[in-house]
Amino acid sequence: MSKRLIMIHDENKCIGCQACNIACRSENGTPDEVTRLQVRVEGPFGDAPNLHFKYNRVSCQQCEDAPCVKVCPTGAAYVGEDGLVSIKAEKCVGCMYCVAACPYKVRFMNPETKVADKCNFCKETRLAKGELPACVTACPTDALIFGDANDPSSEVVKILNTKPSYQDKTHLGTKPRLYRIPTKRGGSSHEQYLGRYGAI
Amino acid sequence: MNNIWGDMAQYDPVTWNWIIAIYLFMAGLSAGSILIGIGLRWYRSEDDRKSTKESAILKAAAIISPIAISLGLACLVFDLTKPFHFWLILINYNFESVMALGVLALLAYSPLGIAYALIVLRDELPRWKLGFLLPVAQVLMPFRKAIEVLLFILAIGVGAYTGFLISAMNAYPMLNTAVLPALFLVSGLSAGAAANLVVALLMFNVDSHDKELSKMHRLELPVMAIEMMFLFMLFCALYFKGGAAALALASLTTGVWASVFWIGVVGIGFGIPLLSMLMPASSRHTKTAMIMVACSGLTGVLALRHFIIYAGQSYIY
Ligand code: SF4
Ligand code: SF4
Ligand code: SF4
Repeated sequence: MSKRLIMIHDENKCIGCQACNIACRSENGTPDEVTRLQVRVEGPFGDAPNLHFKYNRVSCQQCEDAPCVKVCPTGAAYVGEDGLVSIKAEKCVGCMYCVAACPYKVRFMNPETKVADKCNFCKETRLAKGELPACVTACPTDALIFGDANDPSSEVVKILNTKPSYQDKTHLGTKPRLYRIPTKRGGSSHEQYLGRYGAI
Repeated sequence: MNNIWGDMAQYDPVTWNWIIAIYLFMAGLSAGSILIGIGLRWYRSEDDRKSTKESAILKAAAIISPIAISLGLACLVFDLTKPFHFWLILINYNFESVMALGVLALLAYSPLGIAYALIVLRDELPRWKLGFLLPVAQVLMPFRKAIEVLLFILAIGVGAYTGFLISAMNAYPMLNTAVLPALFLVSGLSAGAAANLVVALLMFNVDSHDKELSKMHRLELPVMAIEMMFLFMLFCALYFKGGAAALALASLTTGVWASVFWIGVVGIGFGIPLLSMLMPASSRHTKTAMIMVACSGLTGVLALRHFIIYAGQSYIY
């Protein structure tokens, strides 16, 4: 059976430290002016003392029905055999149609290569060697989980089966492959606090 | 911005800017002008059919249409981040992409427009020191009907295509509507009519009471009415969709694009031509008045393209 590589961002565990952001930048040699991955700290939400923040991962959602691939006139934006949305640099003319069409606004023109760019789960640099994406490896709280959703024994499947999760902008029919576990407040964050410091 | 997560500049939802707005305007103008030129030729009177002379309107259209599309394409190419690789787009086609289909249409439309211009302007060529092109025009002459029909069909495609191009993006509620291609086609027709009139009056010294000119003039009001109706439909669609789509209606009341819409599109584009109809016929039909009205029509269509591009991209689902 073919693979369905997905990523889960556990917003409960995330602390917005940007280690993933920095790991991504150094792995992919992203120029300073642009970013493939940000974790935006939004909020606070709610009333004191029950404030909470939202940790919003902003990066390519690896849509299964990707608008950027549909609009690209040259086929430079394509879906590879691994199912991942990638870009063939040598075919890209820089029309920015994909940048405009991405509903998550995560595509950008790389100022050095003049080619459309975005997260590809470190497909060539790390997945090809059997390693995990750089952000997943770097995360200090294990908030990022990566794996094959078509493999019933994988960790991602276990997590999706046991925890509530959501995807962003599903009403647009893009079928994102980035799943998010929403922040819970109160007891659960206490539990998380204890968990992080080894009390449970 | 000094967020801990980094710079936000690349996340500006407005990706396509005024250069693309001008391209959309030029493509609409080119298609509209030739559609009107050829359309009027097909509906000319029996008397006019006997004459071998080309009408001033058709000659104007034959000049405007290839020039406008070339300028538009130049904007498009130089807006690419890799302008000197534009040929990549000519050899790789993703038939799911509206842009790829548009490239194919333009690939046929542009040379056909030039060929048709040579045919229509054959008497003019020697005057413009382009006499060496006459033999080409002679060779093309027997194919006139075929070129004309094909060009007409492709012009409908080009006029509507720019609307499809931006309506294919489901990220933007104001752009992702079915009325946009129709709105772009009709507003292209009104721009085309206005430009034809200016060029016919200035370059071919046609009399301001010319028969063809007044025939074209009679088209203007219905075209404008349809344009307004499509605009109204666009906003209604947003209103009834509700949610994020309805929020995009704020573009009509706040910010610089609200002014562009009310002053540029409504005031200059619709208001001035409509008010001019109240002027006494004697002053309304002077050359100056006609040119002024036509220029306000063109300004309105240009403002509309800018409004759609900027306001459309500012609101995202
Ligand atoms: S998130 Fe954007 S860039 Fe990534 S696959 Fe979806 S549409 Fe394409
Ligand atoms: S910028 Fe490049 S990848 Fe994006 S749509 Fe244009 S050609 Fe395709
Ligand atoms: S490295 Fe982990 S904890 Fe830090 S911002 Fe990224 S996902 Fe969140």
